[in-house]
Amino acid sequence: MKTSPPAAVEREAPAVEQTAESSSLTETVNKLRRRLVWTSVWGFLATNFLMFLRFFFPRALFEPSPVFRIGYPSDFSLGVDTRFQDQYRIWVVRTTDRLFVIYARCTHLGCTPLWSPSENKFKCPCHGSGYDMEGINFEGPAPRPMDRAKVELDAEGQIVVDVSRLYTYKEFNEPGAYIPV
Amino acid sequence: MDREKEGRGGVGVLERVREETEQLRERLKEELEELKQDLKEPQRTQLWKSIFRVPHERTTPRNRTLAVLANVFLHLHPARVNRDAVRYSYTWGMGGISFYLFIVLTFTGVLLMFYYHPTKVQAFRDILYLEHDVPFGRLLRNMHRWAAHLMVITVWLHMFRVVLTGSYKRPREFNWCVGVILLVLTLLLSFTGYLLPDDQLGFWAVTVGTNMARATPLIGHEGPFGPQLGMTPYNDVRFALLGGSIVDSNALLRAYIWHCIALPLMAAIFMGVHFWRVRKDGGISGPAPVMLESEMKPVRKL
Amino acid sequence: MDWYQLWQIISAPDNVPIVGLLVIVPFYTWYGLRQARANDRLIQELEANPELAKTHHRKTFPYRPGWPTEVHVWPYLLRIEFLAAIIVTALLMVWSLTIDAPLEEPANPNLTPNPSKAPWYFVGLQEMLVYFDPWFAGVVLPTLIIIGLMAFPYVDANPLGNGYYTWRQRTVAIGSFLVGFYLWIALIIVGTLMRGPGWMLFWPGQTWDHTRLVYEVNRNLPDIFGITSEWGKGIFGFFAVVLFYAVAGLGIHKLVTRSPLNRKIYERTSLIQYLVFQFFAITILVGLPAKILLRLLFRIKYVWITPWFNI
Repeated sequence: MKTSPPAAVEREAPAVEQTAESSSLTETVNKLRRRLVWTSVWGFLATNFLMFLRFFFPRALFEPSPVFRIGYPSDFSLGVDTRFQDQYRIWVVRTTDRLFVIYARCTHLGCTPLWSPSENKFKCPCHGSGYDMEGINFEGPAPRPMDRAKVELDAEGQIVVDVSRLYTYKEFNEPGAYIPV
Repeated sequence: MDREKEGRGGVGVLERVREETEQLRERLKEELEELKQDLKEPQRTQLWKSIFRVPHERTTPRNRTLAVLANVFLHLHPARVNRDAVRYSYTWGMGGISFYLFIVLTFTGVLLMFYYHPTKVQAFRDILYLEHDVPFGRLLRNMHRWAAHLMVITVWLHMFRVVLTGSYKRPREFNWCVGVILLVLTLLLSFTGYLLPDDQLGFWAVTVGTNMARATPLIGHEGPFGPQLGMTPYNDVRFALLGGSIVDSNALLRAYIWHCIALPLMAAIFMGVHFWRVRKDGGISGPAPVMLESEMKPVRKL
Repeated sequence: MDWYQLWQIISAPDNVPIVGLLVIVPFYTWYGLRQARANDRLIQELEANPELAKTHHRKTFPYRPGWPTEVHVWPYLLRIEFLAAIIVTALLMVWSLTIDAPLEEPANPNLTPNPSKAPWYFVGLQEMLVYFDPWFAGVVLPTLIIIGLMAFPYVDANPLGNGYYTWRQRTVAIGSFLVGFYLWIALIIVGTLMRGPGWMLFWPGQTWDHTRLVYEVNRNLPDIFGITSEWGKGIFGFFAVVLFYAVAGLGIHKLVTRSPLNRKIYERTSLIQYLVFQFFAITILVGLPAKILLRLLFRIKYVWITPWFNI
């Protein structure tokens, strides 16, 4: 059995007795085992961490569909139409040559502006941003015009709006951003 | 020398710039050396020392002691224990395993909470959602449920071991009572969790359970002497548990809050007391030297 | 022998713990009693040889004089705890990957599944409902069990066995706990494996027949003795219970004073300790099995009938 040497470092008899081995052999075995254990531990933790992250992204969502129909171009007269603001958060705007759909989100911090027919402008109640009838900003803190939703005509000729694809002001002339009338 | 430098005006400036660049390069070399040293021996950096306050080589007794006492997660343990207490055959490890399972359940439970709405409309569908549309959701739910069952088993085995080793005797009687309370809390946690999927299994289990509540003497509307004391289905103890007279949306929400907040908090507090008392009562009770019948001391009169 | 029926019960995911219990509990009982045997042998040696008792270190574990009596928690305890955590995690992962948690149809208050069982740790309580009214089986008995458990250390006046396994020095304490523990597990096993539709008794391997008719009629103890008046039943029941407590108490007294050591401990026990122990032992450890046997063997439902409660 191990006797306690008078030296400063005390050596304990571990609860599980070990057979005597040459120190170099013990050291090599220990290093391999140590590395194996640590690799397994870190590997396990890393795998679980990745699983943990992936867990927060569900594969299917149950949100209302961003694609919907709003009727025929002939349903809309010149100017701003607010009939779908409460239901879909959009305004339908018809000019002399185009029909497009503005997504009713202020480009400052995301509130829903109000259409004021008397003043012929959209006014955001949150911080006072003002937009003209085509959604172009001209007053207040808004940094750019309001976005427009993708529009196209289906087989019957109905307007199909897709608010998951929004066009910024640089893209207003792209084919999906308006319907020629 | 200096007078010469000063006299040369513009050239002196150039000299100074060259000197400064030299000095900078020297310093850069030194700092790079230091950085390389730091990377080779991170334990010597102040960054490391500020986080890990005690040295990490574990071979000296002082460091082994500090590893436990200076560590916020480990200082539940004493620095040393009875040499035979580390044998599995004495404690079976069931107390520690129960605690570990509690932590696993808390962790998996919190993750499950991200996808669960405690309403009649959504609860069941959320479980389906977890099982099919959430990555690793099925695994997580399974882990939570099986860890719960395993914890009930380990808690029973822990109690069994404590009885077999007489570890409830003086001075540990109170800790045993705290343990019984923890057992009841574990069963209640299991029971409240059982209802949350809002499926037939959970719904009827809770119906049977709370119907037993209505039979409580004195405070249940169907128990002995209950109606005589004015108990009706709308004001007895069962009503208090369910938040109503039927197992419906109120019952679900109450079960959810009991399960996720109130009972875990109580369990945590009692576990704190339980571990504290283990230390204060002298640590793990054994294995203790055997006592002979002839060594029994006479009874102390209280 | 309907193997499929048996398999259906055993393989139900929520019943896996009970199947596990059938293995785990005998194993750990054996594991603990094995050490108790070793310790008892040591105690016998030491009692036979007082000289040895003075110098022996009093444990069955290996020891030489000069060995340190304590070891550092780091690493010797913590590595075992780490290993335990690893094993438990591995077991849990394998279990979770192979067996799915059950999810039945959405809750339907108008359709009760048959049989409708509580989770396995409460099935014991549900089984007790066969033999007692809900207020007793569901409220009074569990409360008594919890209070009885809490009283356990305080009624135990035996100073021996504090911190080591022993059987011979603590027969009463360990014996009574084992009776209670195994009774609880037996109730769980009966409730899980032997109760089918309508909570009727089916042997393991007997097909669950929803249409099986129950012919037996239960009767009450006072009726057997021909007592018909309400007061008569109440008084008869009261005396029946008193008689039961007296007989059971006597029996338990004989049991706990059998060996000389037990008698010595009995002398150290105060009156209130003894009475509390007797109350819980009779009510739970003797009363519960007695009522179960009365029902199963003699079809007796109530022993004590009063206008306010029945036992």
